[in-house]
Amino acid sequence: MYEIGKREFVSLFKSFKSIMIIAILLATSYYSAKFASFIVTELTDVEDIDIHYFGLLGLIVLFGQLFIMGLSHDSINRELHERTMRFLVTRTSRVSILLGKFFGILMFWFVCLLTSFLLISIFAHKLDLYIFSQTMSLLTFQIALTIFVSVLIPKPSFTMFLGIVVGILVPIMGFWLTLTENVWVSWIKYITPFYYLDQDGYTFLVTFLFSGLLLFAAGLIFNRRDC
Amino acid sequence: MIAIETKQLKKSYGAVPVVKGIDLTVEQGEVFGFLGRNGAGKSTFINMLTGIIHPSSGSFSLLGVEGGDDSVKKDIGVMPDYANLYGSLTALGHLKFFSALSGRPASKAECMKVLEKVGLEMHANKKAVKFSFGMKKKLGIAQAIIHDPELIFLDEPTSGLDAEAVLHIQKLIRDLQKSGKTVFMTSHNLDEVEKLCTRIAIMKEGEIVKIGTMDELRAFYRSSITVKLKHSPIPISEQAKLREWLESAGTSLEMNDSCVTITVDDEQKIAEMVRAFQQCRVDVYRVHVEEPSLEDIFLEQ
Repeated sequence: MYEIGKREFVSLFKSFKSIMIIAILLATSYYSAKFASFIVTELTDVEDIDIHYFGLLGLIVLFGQLFIMGLSHDSINRELHERTMRFLVTRTSRVSILLGKFFGILMFWFVCLLTSFLLISIFAHKLDLYIFSQTMSLLTFQIALTIFVSVLIPKPSFTMFLGIVVGILVPIMGFWLTLTENVWVSWIKYITPFYYLDQDGYTFLVTFLFSGLLLFAAGLIFNRRDC
Repeated sequence: MIAIETKQLKKSYGAVPVVKGIDLTVEQGEVFGFLGRNGAGKSTFINMLTGIIHPSSGSFSLLGVEGGDDSVKKDIGVMPDYANLYGSLTALGHLKFFSALSGRPASKAECMKVLEKVGLEMHANKKAVKFSFGMKKKLGIAQAIIHDPELIFLDEPTSGLDAEAVLHIQKLIRDLQKSGKTVFMTSHNLDEVEKLCTRIAIMKEGEIVKIGTMDELRAFYRSSITVKLKHSPIPISEQAKLREWLESAGTSLEMNDSCVTITVDDEQKIAEMVRAFQQCRVDVYRVHVEEPSLEDIFLEQ
C-alpha cells in the first residue's frame, strides 16, 4: 500500500500540477479577500481573516471535484486499461492497491492545501485549522468519489468525460439539495457532504464516513473485477 | 512439496467455457510446460492461478496456500501475457518498485544482477517507453524474479525474442530450476519446452488432453516410430519376399536400392526388421530411429 501510495503521490507531485494547484488556491484566497474587502468595507478583524480561508473553502466546494476528477479520474482504470494492473494484483492485495491510490492522492492534496494555508497565514496572520479540517474532509470525500468512479467505469476516456459532468453537477446539486424545501428531494441532502459542511460544530466529520462507504463499495467492485 | 494444485478449476465468460475443470498437480522444483494452440485456455489458466482473474468454480493452492490468500503473493513471480510496463519508469525503477511492492525491497546491486541475468544491464537507466518489444519482454522476466520467488509463472517468455536472447532466457530458466525454484511456463516454441521442461501438459479447448514427462508422452505416441535403414543392395530373388514382410510389419513404406523408410508401432519390430534383412542376405549399415518429437505429439492432438 505504501509503495503504491508513494508512487501515486510522486507522479502527481513531480509535474507542474502541484505548483499550479497551489497557485490557484493562493490566488483565489488572496483575490477573494481583496474583492470582499472592496465591496464590504466594514468587515471586522475576524471576518477579514476568515475571508481568506472561506475563499479557499469555496473554491474547493465549487471546483474541488472538477480538479480531482481532472487529475485522478483514471487512477485505477488507466492501469486496468493498459494492463499494468496485472503487475500490481500479482504482488499485493487489491485492497492495498485501492487504499494506496487513495492515500497517495489524499497526501498530494493535503500537501497542496497545507502549503496554501501556510502561505495564506502569512498575510492573514492566523492559521485556521477548523476550515482546514473542513476543507480536508470535503477533499477526502471528493477523492473517494473519484476512486469509486475510476473503479466502476473501466474506460479512462469515459471517466474523463464523466469527471467533467460530475465535477460540475455534484456541487450544484449539493447546494440545491441543501437549500431546497421540496420534501420529495430534500432528504437527499443528508447523503451529500455539503449539508454537513453547512452545519456548525464538527458535523462535517460525517463526510469521512461517506468517504469510507464509497471506498468500501469501490473495494467490493474491484475485488470482483478481472484484470 | 506441491507447488501448484488445482481441483476442477473452471472459467467461463457468460455461457462460453474457456477452462473446463482442470485437475493438476505440479511438484516443487519442476519446470512445467503448458502447451496448446491459441485460445486453448493456457493464459486464462495462469491468470486464475496468479489472481489476475477469478475462477468461475473449483479451487487451487499455491505452495500449500489456498487460492485467494494474498500472503502467497510474495513467494510467486509472474510474467503475465499482454501486460504493459510503466513508460515513465526506468528498468531499474521498475525493479525497485516491484521488489518493494512484493515486500522484499532489492538494492541497486541486486537489481543490476537481475538485469544482467536477462541481458538488460546496459539499459538499466533507460525509460521503458523507449524499450523495444524484446527488451520489454526481458524486463517482464526480470520483474518476475527480482524478489527471489519460489514459484515463477512465465507466459510465453521467449516469444518475440531474437535467438541470442532466447538462449539467454533458456539458461536463466535452467539456473532457476537448479536453484530449486518451480517454473510454470507456456510456450509456442516446442523445442524449447522439450529442452527445458521436466513435465508437459497439452491443453485443448479448455481441457488437459495429455500430461507427463517427455519420455512418457513419447512412449504413449510410440505407435509412430519412423525407422530408416541403410543397407546393401537387396538380391532380386529376395526383393518380393522382403517387401511383403515389410508391408506386414509397418506402414508408410518407402524402398529404394539402398534405403528403406518405414513407420512401425513397436520397438520390437526394429529388431525383427534387422533380422529379416540378414535372413535375406542383406547387410544393414545404419539404423536411424526417429522418435516422435513434441511437435508430432502436439500436432496429433
